[in-house]
Amino acid sequence: MTHRLLLPALASVLLLASFLGGGPVRAADAPPGASSCTGCHASQRIPDSVIPRIAGRKASDIVQFMREYRSGAWPSSVMGRIAKGFDDQQIDAIAAWFAAQPE
Amino acid sequence: MATRRTFLKLTAAASLAVPSITSAQAGGRVVVVGGGFGGATAARMLKALEPKLTVTLVEPNPVFTACPFSNNVLAALREITQQQFGYDGVQKAGVVLAQTAATAVDASGKTVTLSDGSKLPYDRLVLSPGIDINWGALPGYDEAAAEKMPHAWKAGAQTVLLRQQLQAMDDGGLVVISSPANPFRCPPGPYERASLIAYWLKIWKPRSKLLILDSKDAFSKQRLFQNAWAQLYPGLIEWVSLSQGGKVTSVDPSTLTFVTDFARHKAAVGNVIPPQKAGAIAQQAGVADRTGWCPVEPVAFESTLRPGIHVIGDSAIMGGMPKSAFAANAQAKVCAAAVVELLAGRKPVDPILINTCYSLVAPDYGISVAGVYRPDKGVLADIPGAGGASPLEVVGGFRGQEALYASSWFKTITTEVFG
Ligand SMILES: Cc1cc2nc3c(=O)[nH]c(=O)nc-3n(C[C@H](O)[C@H](O)[C@H](O)COP(=O)(O)OP(=O)(O)OC[C@H]3O[C@@H](n4cnc5c(N)ncnc54)[C@H](O)[C@@H]3O)c2cc1C
Ligand code: HEC
Repeated sequence: MTHRLLLPALASVLLLASFLGGGPVRAADAPPGASSCTGCHASQRIPDSVIPRIAGRKASDIVQFMREYRSGAWPSSVMGRIAKGFDDQQIDAIAAWFAAQPE
Repeated sequence: MATRRTFLKLTAAASLAVPSITSAQAGGRVVVVGGGFGGATAARMLKALEPKLTVTLVEPNPVFTACPFSNNVLAALREITQQQFGYDGVQKAGVVLAQTAATAVDASGKTVTLSDGSKLPYDRLVLSPGIDINWGALPGYDEAAAEKMPHAWKAGAQTVLLRQQLQAMDDGGLVVISSPANPFRCPPGPYERASLIAYWLKIWKPRSKLLILDSKDAFSKQRLFQNAWAQLYPGLIEWVSLSQGGKVTSVDPSTLTFVTDFARHKAAVGNVIPPQKAGAIAQQAGVADRTGWCPVEPVAFESTLRPGIHVIGDSAIMGGMPKSAFAANAQAKVCAAAVVELLAGRKPVDPILINTCYSLVAPDYGISVAGVYRPDKGVLADIPGAGGASPLEVVGGFRGQEALYASSWFKTITTEVFG
């Protein structure tokens, strides 16, 4: 992994970014619910994971997916059951937070 | 008694003498006990959120052995080494590792005693010690009995022992699993275990049978499991519920016998999933109540019995959330953010948490149960309308897809926690 070669200070900044999907957004400012999404949609790349990556995606795309999962308009295995726990405002906040992370 | 004035003078003097304790700007010291799914996540997250904190993770084992996917080890679908993770990643993230056990907590003096007798001071303490077996709750079942009738409910040597016993069993033998009353670690776990052992028996010991003796009348994802058993393993698995007399009242390890009020079942291989309680350090710290588990408030998961101590993961009473690795990881991230806020003198906001438990009924047949939770009337409550189990009727490759998502989840979470 490349960040092993970096200076410790820089490495820890990147680690922060990669663990929390930080980028310019502090994880402390993560809106309610977002830190649970990362249990499946990690900030770092997971080799051979078939769960789609959402970090760095356009906020409007994430919002559209979440609303269509919630209504059932878009089929899913698990996201429909999860999206039903969030209202429009909460989805908007989570989408903006993921969109601000490095892709 | 000190007057209010002298008291104020004293605290002022104390804070001059040891500014690092009282000043939030200087960081602060957080001790995390238990380097499993809850504790290792919390330690990393705390350090990442507030690099000025000194975060010490207390964990005696140099290598963590994960329970999720350990039922695959029983069915020879994985090796135990694939369940094992070291702490290099955690240390590289700036967490100080104290490779030893915590033996005592002084909640008023705010110190944790380590096994060598030294004391670690803290401003806030996070406990995630997982479960302990409630030895003595099931007559006949003690540490020696577990060498004959393994629980394999803490992954590691016990998992390997149960696998060896299955492999040594003659074809046609009876495997018996006893499942405890609620609450316990990983509610769908006993039934995933029964499924994967059945998968293995069907291939290697096809004349064998598996009996589940249950202290409950209902279990997680029950219809999904039972439909799949009828389809994949017809006649192989028998489930005896509480009201059918399934409750095991004692065991005899010398004859591998499970005793209920109605019958004695002699097993060729006996797996006792025993009653459990919060890890011993939680009892010692005074954060466990008479149930054996730890009551917490639902925003920062601070103990309702001892302020300054947060409890997460299997040890805690988390309202509607089950005891799972997914839940421990989600709680840890919320707890870490809340602890940072509290140390900075701010009030944490109400969180939302998700849990998802995947189970494999066969290697390419996955099912799941999900929930979304928020604080409501002092507890973490299910958000109505959200969550639930996989659909009973599906088309195409749905179950296969969920099996792939299950292993992707395991890779994702173990990378987030230990990678
Ligand atoms: C067979 C099986 C299958 C499972 N499958 C799944 C699954 O598919 N998905 C899922 O989400 N969950 C699953 N689980 C549940 C999951 O393993 C637990 O819920 C999870 O490990 C809980 O995390 P924790 O942090 O509370 O405890 P643990 O992960 O057990 O970590 C506790 C740690 O604390 C340490 N410790 C204890 N006492 C002390 C002390 N005094 N001092 C220092 N350290 C201490 C221990 O050594 C341990 O490392 C499964 C469990 C089992 C048994
Ligand atoms: C238990 C694992 C899990 C959790 C937790 C989870 N997801 Fe998903 N997510 C999936 C899976 C699996 C898919 C693929 C669709 C499906 O089958 O449900 C997906 C798909 C998505 C997609 C569509 C991406 C694409 O390109 O197709 C978005 C957006 C998304 N999730 C957002 C979220 C958000 C936001 C959260 C937190 C509120 C979240 N997910 C929590 C597993 C999860």
